[in-house]
Amino acid sequence: MDSSTRIQHLLEVSNLTKYFDAGRGRKVHAVEHVSFAVDEGMTFGLVGESGCGKSSCARTIIRIYEPTEGTILFEGKDVSHLSQRILQPLRRDMQMIFQDPYASLNARMTVRDIIAEPLLAHHVVKKREEANEIVFRMLERVGLTREHANRYAHEFSGGQRQRVGIARALVLQPKLVICDEPISALDVSIQAQVVNLLREYQDESGIAYLFIAHDLSMVRYVSDAVGVMYLGELVETAETDELYRNPLHPYTRGLLNSIPVANPKLARQRNQSGIEGDIPSPIDPPAGCRFHTRCPYAKPICAEETPLLKNQGNGHLCACHLYD
Amino acid sequence: MEQKWEMLSSSNEDREKIWSRSRTFAGDVWFRFRHKPTALAGLVLIAVLMAFAFFGPLFTKYDYAEQNLTVVNIPPRMTVYDAPDGNGYLTITQNLKLLRVDQDGRLGEQLSRVRDDDARSMTIFDCGGTEVGLYYGKTPYKVCNPDKLTVYHHRTIWNRSYLLGTDALGRDILTRLMYGTRVSLMVAFVAAFVNMIVGIVYGGISGYVGGMTDQIMMRIVDVISTIPLTLYVILIMVIMGSGLQSIIVALGSVYWVDMARVVRGQVLSLKNQEFVVAARTIGSSTRTILFQHLIPNAMGSILVTVTMLIPSAIFMEAFLGFLGIGLQPPLASLGTMCNDATENLRTSPYQLFIPALVIVLIMFGFNFVGDGLRDALDPKLKK
Repeated sequence: MDSSTRIQHLLEVSNLTKYFDAGRGRKVHAVEHVSFAVDEGMTFGLVGESGCGKSSCARTIIRIYEPTEGTILFEGKDVSHLSQRILQPLRRDMQMIFQDPYASLNARMTVRDIIAEPLLAHHVVKKREEANEIVFRMLERVGLTREHANRYAHEFSGGQRQRVGIARALVLQPKLVICDEPISALDVSIQAQVVNLLREYQDESGIAYLFIAHDLSMVRYVSDAVGVMYLGELVETAETDELYRNPLHPYTRGLLNSIPVANPKLARQRNQSGIEGDIPSPIDPPAGCRFHTRCPYAKPICAEETPLLKNQGNGHLCACHLYD
Repeated sequence: MEQKWEMLSSSNEDREKIWSRSRTFAGDVWFRFRHKPTALAGLVLIAVLMAFAFFGPLFTKYDYAEQNLTVVNIPPRMTVYDAPDGNGYLTITQNLKLLRVDQDGRLGEQLSRVRDDDARSMTIFDCGGTEVGLYYGKTPYKVCNPDKLTVYHHRTIWNRSYLLGTDALGRDILTRLMYGTRVSLMVAFVAAFVNMIVGIVYGGISGYVGGMTDQIMMRIVDVISTIPLTLYVILIMVIMGSGLQSIIVALGSVYWVDMARVVRGQVLSLKNQEFVVAARTIGSSTRTILFQHLIPNAMGSILVTVTMLIPSAIFMEAFLGFLGIGLQPPLASLGTMCNDATENLRTSPYQLFIPALVIVLIMFGFNFVGDGLRDALDPKLKK
């Protein structure tokens, strides 16, 4: 990319680092030196095992957590160290869908009030009553009816609740929605429903998603580009087709091999195994390449030197000593 | 039914429809509350006591301060002697006088004294022309015929003039009880309300802001609660002087400590819940987060704490009254009534039993309601 004609990304995260204090001077290395970009109308998928820092990364980007280091450029503006007061109007363009549709809706509020809350917070409407029309339209947009507006969250099923959460995130027509594992708490038939809803909305409005999941097939289905995270670090990132066709990092390969295959004949042919062992503690991550403790191809250098993300062609970035 | 397995048509509307009846959170709580007999009994008890305290005075012909020294310490159930003139009964008052009592048990006039007969330990009264003697040589005192020295036939009947008897100043205990219950309930409600507000604000700020502010605010609470709260209340009462306002101020300014702890704990656990995080990412103001998300969700525990606080405030007020630093006479409260009763405890124990019973009923009522509320507000017990 020529630096003079550099395209402005909608969201550009560079070198993002988040440490949590674990007491007694120890730190949880939740997110370390993560860089990626999301363009308008695009979906960037972030995958990895549980505990690899995907959600921490998302929450740092939306400034629920304060970043330890690095910059977050949203529409070219550095939001990484703005105070919450200055950040407030910017939140209108950056919303979030939460993983747990049960915990993320206030049990004491009706669906109408839940969806109207962003409208009131950003003074789109002055009074609660004025929000009604927008709320009804939004409810119908996510496949619910206006009769649902007076119901409380606990009366809904999981899928319906998640659609209420989506309606709340989309009602301000933001430019970016961070979907923090929006489907992992739902059963499979509902997952497709929710994901299709998100995609349809993207086609209509050109919204961008940062889509976080641990379900690789779902990420392949929704994303334009994918980043793979391991123990707080981004180990590989590429266009979706490129990544799934030609995974470079041993961790990515292991992940892809762990996708269940429906056809038992094909499954038997697959001789490569998934990843062995457990993810190491993020309080004291391994030196060098973080993955070397579980990597089948580990070399001596892997334990000493941290590999950098390097372009392996086709915009395919991978951090692994195998490709040095 | 040949085509048992035929697919029924279903529209999207049907699939999304919620068939259960819509029930608000409050409706849900009420549903669980009324299915618990003790809680309901407590609620009824409180309602009855409140009706007694607030509407009772409309039906009584006495005033709480009205003294009648001729009818001192008359019990609700009296021992009466047949009047020799056949006109009702006679009863002995505590200051050794004879009172007429009619057939139904209503008190009449006092008999006039004719002379003392010290030799026979008797006072002679005039009862419609006949002389009757009040023998005070040995307890229990008796009414007798001074000539034949025979005790008149006696029996016990209910006091119809003063249903619960009179106190040492001849005031109607029932009327004083109504006013006393009223004062006690009022003190308790106002104190509980003040505590609730102070506790919510203090605990809310401490829990929500967190960090150093929380540390300092909670240490202050710790310091306050190391000294028994009773002592504070007494000290405040000593400084401010006795009276209704000072009781309310004293109770209100001390008991918020528990409430603040409860609210802080709730806010601490709630503020990291996903729906509060969601409100922050939406960009809602701190005010919205506090008053729409945190406080409504903490309201359950707050209500339970308040209903538990009311009986302790009532008890505290009664205790202060009992010590004599509560309300000043002639105002009545349950505690001052108990205090007044102790002077005549041996001769008129009913004066202590009656207000004590009311205190017990109030405590029972509120504790039952508090218990019931706690269970009803616990969503884990949802049916």
